[in-house]
Amino acid sequence: MREQLTREELFRRAAFGAALVSVPGFAAACGSSKSSSSGGKNVLAKTLRFSNWPYYIDVDEKTKKRPTLETFKKRFGVDVRYTEDINSNSEFFGKIQGQLSRGQSTDRDLAVLTDNERFLSLMIDKGWTEKLDKDAIPNIANLVDVQKHPGFDPDRDYSLPWQSGMTGIAYNPDLTKPITSIDQLFEDKSLKGQITVLNDFADTLGLVLLANGDDPSKITDDAWKSALDRVKAASDSGQIRQFTGNDYTGPLSKGDLKACVAWSGDIVQLLPDNPKLKWGIPKDGGMIWTDNMIIPKGGDVYTASVYMNYVYDPEVAAKLAAGIAYVTPVKGAKEALAKTDPETAKNELIFPSDETLSKVHLIDPDALKNQSYNEQWQAVLGA
Amino acid sequence: MKFVRRHLLTAYAIAAFAYLLVPIAIVIAFSFNDPGGRYNYTWQGFTLDQWRNWDGVPGLRDAMTLSLEIAVLASIVATVLGTLIAMALVRYGFRGRGGTNVIIFLPMATPEVVLGASLLTLFLNVSVVTFGFTTILIAHIMFCISYVVVTVKARLIGFDRSLEEAAMDLGANEFTTFRKVTLPLIAPAILAGLLLSFALSIDDFVVTYFNAGSEVTFPLFVWGAAQRGVPPQVNVMGTVIFIVALSFMVLNVLFQRRRESPAQA
Amino acid sequence: MGFFHRHRGLTPYLLLAPGLVWLAVFFLVPLGFLAYQSLQSGTFDVGYAFDWAWGNYWDALQRYHAWLLRSLTYAGLATLLALVISYPLAYWIAFRGGRWKNLLLVMIIAPFFVTYLIRTLAWETILADQGPVVGLLRDAGILGDNGRLLATSTAVVAGITYNFLPFMALPIYVALEAIDSRLIEAAEDLYASRVQAFLRVTLPLSLPGVVAGTLLTFIPAAGDFINAQLLGTPKQAMIGNVIQSKFYNLIDYPGAATLSFTLMAAVLVLIAVYVRAVGTEKLTG
Repeated sequence: MREQLTREELFRRAAFGAALVSVPGFAAACGSSKSSSSGGKNVLAKTLRFSNWPYYIDVDEKTKKRPTLETFKKRFGVDVRYTEDINSNSEFFGKIQGQLSRGQSTDRDLAVLTDNERFLSLMIDKGWTEKLDKDAIPNIANLVDVQKHPGFDPDRDYSLPWQSGMTGIAYNPDLTKPITSIDQLFEDKSLKGQITVLNDFADTLGLVLLANGDDPSKITDDAWKSALDRVKAASDSGQIRQFTGNDYTGPLSKGDLKACVAWSGDIVQLLPDNPKLKWGIPKDGGMIWTDNMIIPKGGDVYTASVYMNYVYDPEVAAKLAAGIAYVTPVKGAKEALAKTDPETAKNELIFPSDETLSKVHLIDPDALKNQSYNEQWQAVLGA
Repeated sequence: MKFVRRHLLTAYAIAAFAYLLVPIAIVIAFSFNDPGGRYNYTWQGFTLDQWRNWDGVPGLRDAMTLSLEIAVLASIVATVLGTLIAMALVRYGFRGRGGTNVIIFLPMATPEVVLGASLLTLFLNVSVVTFGFTTILIAHIMFCISYVVVTVKARLIGFDRSLEEAAMDLGANEFTTFRKVTLPLIAPAILAGLLLSFALSIDDFVVTYFNAGSEVTFPLFVWGAAQRGVPPQVNVMGTVIFIVALSFMVLNVLFQRRRESPAQA
Repeated sequence: MGFFHRHRGLTPYLLLAPGLVWLAVFFLVPLGFLAYQSLQSGTFDVGYAFDWAWGNYWDALQRYHAWLLRSLTYAGLATLLALVISYPLAYWIAFRGGRWKNLLLVMIIAPFFVTYLIRTLAWETILADQGPVVGLLRDAGILGDNGRLLATSTAVVAGITYNFLPFMALPIYVALEAIDSRLIEAAEDLYASRVQAFLRVTLPLSLPGVVAGTLLTFIPAAGDFINAQLLGTPKQAMIGNVIQSKFYNLIDYPGAATLSFTLMAAVLVLIAVYVRAVGTEKLTG
């Protein structure tokens, strides 16, 4: 007797079939190749796992390779897994805190975080970074003096600067007269609705504090309140168009913005789009921030330290500075670069003079950690 | 007047398509731009360099490949799983229908940041997990299922069962009926679910970011690149995918035409 | 074979099993953890402790009901707009698309091939203050002399609409495509005008698709944050932005969890009301 499939049986089979179909979903998955990296004391690991921000290393446009990394690979016989998966301090922290709070490794030996947000000092305070192997970093002597004792890492036990950048005011001279101060930016009615400020308070409030005559590296509650109120007023009145990340670059170059709070390195990159754009440190002072290399807990300390030492060689630092167009923390890089590329060596934005450096300030690291300050700032941003 | 009435709908449809595709046109146009710096904001000159050098940005091709692989796999699996659920919901009475519906709606309502973060927490608590392709795929299948269920369910609701019954009365068995009657009739819904899942997967950022380990998908790449300027090669890649998908469908149409002609002869 | 005969009543459960198990493991379990988090108190520095902090929910509602309302409003507007734009489009593809239907469907999701950021940058180019669209609107008097489209609530709603269009269009298309055109012919044979035929035959038959599209658009749109972030000012911030802020910037995981559940609850309530209002199982299953 021929058996007939009833509809029910058919569906039952389909259900089991579906379970099988899901299996390829697993089977097809080849997990990310995680080469074992532990080197051990003074033994280099096979691979250096380096997470960084995009466009934050030198790149040869033709070969698509990163020259300094290639040289490192050859010289030390270490492969480098370079991933550009950091695009925001808070997002990156949000991603790795899961592993770190459980004592698990993040599968990275090096990461780069900025010192003008709370996350860098948070990592260090929580013990989520490894101590540097300073014996492997004799070139640490080349660190510029001003970076030697930052508030969040007074003895440079856990971090070393990668590159620095400055925050100032950019403006479009076709659309407005030169804007050189926060006072102008906030008070000039002709700019209404056509300026933006940055959405992290170290940059924006730092500048406002300076404009108010206060010191951003030692913030008092009163100073904070005045600066915050000032920003809030400018936002409520519509003077400030938006609080941006680096998405100010598009509107600025297209002419939607007349002026904005901006980072030094971005302007260098915007000039080809709009050669007239100008950037400057405000009259009352600007801010300086530094991206720091850290070794997340579980990373290979020796290999990472060897890389840091490599990066602090003035010759290498010169190449990086030229490729990245931000400010190098390595003494001697400017001189090294002047030998091969004197034009770039003269660029004030990449190698600022001491006079320029005297006009920029660091943010108070305690203010960054102040939860109440953070909440108040987020409220101004709309949350 | 009749002319207007007759073609009003077409005009509207063309306008709607224009609305949908004008940004794509801009993306395509700017893939031929010759920007001097890193940003691609203003038109500076026509060039084919970005196309010639389409692979010139390190990591872009890998990111796109990864995104496509995951999108294809995730949409297929999610469509299968979702279609089954839809069938169960529409054609059977069973305990827990309300609960099932809630479980289907919830993932769509959950903000991505907590969805991604709590899934990450799950993975971290199961120590065998390697972050990368697997975890991204799992996450994508998870959030696509709901969309397939809702889409296919809508089609099944209006489905005329008498067609199936007629086929069986005429001697077809269950399997044949399903294959030749049911499936073709719900195929548009399954295709729609597949397309929606594909779109969701290939464009996902937040959930992927949490669960990708160090892997980089296309949206992650672009978001990161935007920090310093999105290279025109990103436009090139988007254009290529668009054209490939279109060509695929055009070939599909032509192929069907070929098949029909002999019958018409 | 005997297994199937003996277990007839199992069929729906077997059909549900693979998908539901997947969701149970990879969604419900994480959701449970999220619920657990929402009842914790503490800060990141000192640590979180689970202590049935139901107060979190009350605080969240008190403080953020405005954001919640705004999100639901924006999502609702975007859904309506998406419906208005998508329905005729889906209709045209279903009834006039012919053999090109599938191609046209792919074109609807084509914008997703270029990621969200690129699409938005393209729109920012189109809607730039110095661009043609704003220029036109200013000349026509719709916008003031210094009026702009970007960084307004209009831009945010427009962005949400644009990004969810396929989710409205595809389900409607599916429902329309299934309609037997002979039914419409029959109506017209019975002296119905085209409009009447549409209203009495086509529209009701397409309702399941409309309902599906509405759900697929409104529900995720309510939790959106990215459009408000890039296209809006602080005054347009949605609940999604608050949740982002709590999670990333304030490292307040319980806060983020609580707000998420509050949003989800609000959305579920609205869905329940909507489904009830729209009608029977015939439309929603």
